[in-house]
Amino acid sequence: MGWASYNEDIVSRRNGVTRSSTRIDRANAVRANSPPAPNNNGEPTLSKLKEFTAPNARPLPVLLLADVSGSMGANGKIDALNDAVEEMLESFGGEDDSRAEIHVAVITFGKDGAKVHQPLAPAAKVQWTRMTAAGGTPMGAAFDVATGMIEDRAQIPSRAYRPTIILVSDGQPTDEWRAPLKRLLGSERASKATRFAMGIGDDVDEAMLSAFRATPEARVYRAHEARQIKQFFRWVTMSVTQRSRSANPDSVIAAEPTDLDDFNF
Amino acid sequence: MSNRPPDDYFGASMVGPRHRAEGKPNEDSWLGARGAFGTLVVVSDGMGSRREARRGARMACRAVLDAVRSWHKAGAGDLNELLVRIEPVWCSLIAPSTARDCAATCLFALAHTHGQIHVAAIGDGLALLRTRRGLEWIVGPRSGGFANETAALGHLASWTSRSFPRAGGEVVVLATDGVADDLLPERIDGFVQWLMDDFSGMAPSQRWRALQRELKDWPTPHHTDDKTLVVLRRRDGVLA
Repeated sequence: MGWASYNEDIVSRRNGVTRSSTRIDRANAVRANSPPAPNNNGEPTLSKLKEFTAPNARPLPVLLLADVSGSMGANGKIDALNDAVEEMLESFGGEDDSRAEIHVAVITFGKDGAKVHQPLAPAAKVQWTRMTAAGGTPMGAAFDVATGMIEDRAQIPSRAYRPTIILVSDGQPTDEWRAPLKRLLGSERASKATRFAMGIGDDVDEAMLSAFRATPEARVYRAHEARQIKQFFRWVTMSVTQRSRSANPDSVIAAEPTDLDDFNF
Repeated sequence: MSNRPPDDYFGASMVGPRHRAEGKPNEDSWLGARGAFGTLVVVSDGMGSRREARRGARMACRAVLDAVRSWHKAGAGDLNELLVRIEPVWCSLIAPSTARDCAATCLFALAHTHGQIHVAAIGDGLALLRTRRGLEWIVGPRSGGFANETAALGHLASWTSRSFPRAGGEVVVLATDGVADDLLPERIDGFVQWLMDDFSGMAPSQRWRALQRELKDWPTPHHTDDKTLVVLRRRDGVLA
């Protein structure tokens, strides 16, 4: 036996099991139920650890890309969308069984171009302002806003869980959308987001929705009536809250409705 | 007292709420060892989605120790000569399981008897050295991606490594992502000082229990991951 192996003093603690010298094992047995380490006055000290750790749970970001073009004003679609988002925010904000803090941002695209209607914030703190419908459908610009938001580590830190992007539209994009979508799908972080899309009515651009889907786990749903918008958002709410409650909030839940009309809420 | 080794180490590992809720064991592992090579600490985090993550992490710690021993006996050449030994040893230790099933991160620090401190890592977590001149980050904070994304042994990942001359007073801190992701980067210096102030003077068994308790009562709300934290320090060092 060489000097090296003779002198090795290996203490390996794996999985909470101490494998150490007999002397230490005995000491552990004696002190197994001892109180926290005392200070100089013999009193247990309070940990300072919280001074060095994040005070909030890891965020689970949800980005809604909402079509607020003029056509969304017909047949009560924008009202249904507003009600659905409000209901979703209420559910997220009231979620107290969560392993993550759900943050929500709303990016609208319509008369004023693509803009951040609701900055990313914890759902419980959002003061919802209803959206109004007017103008065209500059969806490509909305993709760029979403990409910028997800790639911005100041807004979505690296300790966050993978974001969810929800796209809702009832028409065809009126701007160049292929390159912005390619940027979104090709970016380091935005490409990892879980994506859901809802196409409303018969005028929606099927090719665009398929391109947005891009991966098998991304879903595209169709709605023909305003009430189905609410159903879709209830299902999205359920999906996100199940993720946030699950042991691993990065996992995507398996149960998904293929036909919203068959889905009872 | 003159026979005391120049380096000291301590650490702890605690199963996280996610695995506790699922009835699963801790998939983190750590190891500390002293020998002719100097002092070595290793931490490893088994990738949660893998069937034998726990075994992969345990074997990662052992693989580093075995590789360090053989590297030292062979003359302790360049650090890269050590790094290339680790993954083959790990693969032989996990056999017949596959690297895919056992994927695990691997972070280690070696205070070598030849006078250097080597710190190397594959995967996420925290690996930093504090010297009199300040902090040297080897791993962390995350530069991209999201929580729970990492490179690992068995995935053709490359090592991140640095070597430092030993000047006295160095402190190395290694941690798995369950700890690293919740630490405030701007408060890391204070965190290291807190470890030195509150733990370095304790008796080993008392220190281990105290650290276990800190990891169990982790203050970030809704934390989920297993947590492992290991410190290697120059005993009686100026900074410690």
